[in-house]
Amino acid sequence: MFKSMVEAFKNLFKPVRTINYPAQEIILPSGYRGLIEYDKEACIFCDKCEKVCPPGAILFYQHEEGEKEYRYNPWLCIYCGECVRACPKPQEAIWQSETKQQSAVKEDGANEGWFVWEEACKKSREAYAAAKKERKPKMKSEEPLCVS
Amino acid sequence: MKKTIQIPLGSQHISLLEPIRFKFECENEKIIGVDADVGFVHRGVELACTRSFEFKQVGYVVARVCGLCAITHSLSYTLAVEKLLGYVANDRIKYLRMLMVELDRIHSHMLCLAHTAENAGFEALFMQIMGDRELVMEVQEAISGNRVQFDYISIGGVNRDLTSELVDLVRKNLTTLSEKMEILTGLFDNNWSLSLKYKGVGVLTLEDAYTYNALGPLARASGLATDVRAETSDFPYEALGYTMMLESTGDIHARNFVRLREIVNSIAICRNIVDNLPMGEIQEKVKGKPKGEEIVRIEAPRGELFYLVRGNGTNTLERVRIKTPTFSGIPAMMEVFKGSQYADAPAILASFDPCMSCTAK
Ligand code: SF4
Ligand code: SF4
Repeated sequence: MFKSMVEAFKNLFKPVRTINYPAQEIILPSGYRGLIEYDKEACIFCDKCEKVCPPGAILFYQHEEGEKEYRYNPWLCIYCGECVRACPKPQEAIWQSETKQQSAVKEDGANEGWFVWEEACKKSREAYAAAKKERKPKMKSEEPLCVS
Repeated sequence: MKKTIQIPLGSQHISLLEPIRFKFECENEKIIGVDADVGFVHRGVELACTRSFEFKQVGYVVARVCGLCAITHSLSYTLAVEKLLGYVANDRIKYLRMLMVELDRIHSHMLCLAHTAENAGFEALFMQIMGDRELVMEVQEAISGNRVQFDYISIGGVNRDLTSELVDLVRKNLTTLSEKMEILTGLFDNNWSLSLKYKGVGVLTLEDAYTYNALGPLARASGLATDVRAETSDFPYEALGYTMMLESTGDIHARNFVRLREIVNSIAICRNIVDNLPMGEIQEKVKGKPKGEEIVRIEAPRGELFYLVRGNGTNTLERVRIKTPTFSGIPAMMEVFKGSQYADAPAILASFDPCMSCTAK
């Protein structure tokens, strides 16, 4: 009884083991798996990162002129790093940073906004593929004309 | 005819961590019949694995089945697919995978011990164990880059290597932890509320354990020698100092002690792994698509985890079947409840270390 009281008294002066977040910052270990970052200049648009991503957090929007635009949902991403491992130019075109993603608020449109994008990307692809198809037969029909 | 009353426990109850419902048939305070319902957190993971994801992505999906033994799930799945593709990992990959699984076992067992302490009314010890558990979580976070979802294992290897700083961190934290484990073992053995209260409560006899197919620490506490680590040869456990921990009494106290001793054993295994880590590649190319059927068994912290994977040579799998340890252990658990006091039920349940999210997936 006496012993446990002494112990309890001593514990009063021991440092606390919890972190007083958010007043005190949580120190992340180096190598923390954070957000995916991307560089358009180095990318060769092979779409490999889009294909391997398990939750589908990377999408490429297809512009009509043939250009592709990278779109990334930091809240959908599970930070697995598969995209970086799949990329033919890892660390140059796409890499994993140590930044922690903050929680989304409604204005970010983490869900609704992304659904719109997903739909838009899909449509842009389809439209582009259809346009390509249309162009091809035309070129073929032009060929005989040239010969004659 | 004797009159009995029905008392439900769950699906939401103050002592339950996860949704499960037991319907106890009670005669005064004594439980004479049990009915269990586990499907409260069904998420359709198995179907998603065969519909929405390609086989290379499924490893990350099944890791989300459970927050505690995520690594065991992804390891089992990866192993099954690797077997289908005819790939055998090199020793370094095997060692690194084992290291993570054993670290996972340590922290999972500590969580269970913390809850049994809490259920004995020992809130301070709960806090203390959870605080010490951070030592392991820290190591896992540093190795894999995340605290809970490690995403460490992928088909053909592991995603990150173990650097020398990490090895130092593993050694340092495990040394601190093994000192704490000694104190903890003493507490669980000598403390009145933990030892006397739990001796003879929730007994599962060896015979019942055998009949009802108990597994994991629950079976080993009754003296039933079953452990997938000793029964399969996918990983070199014997060479790294694995010993099976058996108790004979089969009560909560025995279960606590199986867990305590397994933690000490796992610490030794982890030390052996980092001391004898072979050289080699950590990621190798695996080609092909899974065709055929394969089963894999892995010892998760709670017992045998079973995976069946069937592929048809395309990118999408035909069937993924997950049988989790808690699910297989339910018949034995129900048997333990029979004959014990209703007031003991939460403590007995905590000592099973049930994982409902796993079970319902
Ligand atoms: S880290 Fe994983 S989830 Fe995130 S974008 Fe890359 S592949 Fe997708
Ligand atoms: S994998 Fe790399 S190069 Fe290919 S599209 Fe993605 S970022 Fe660009």
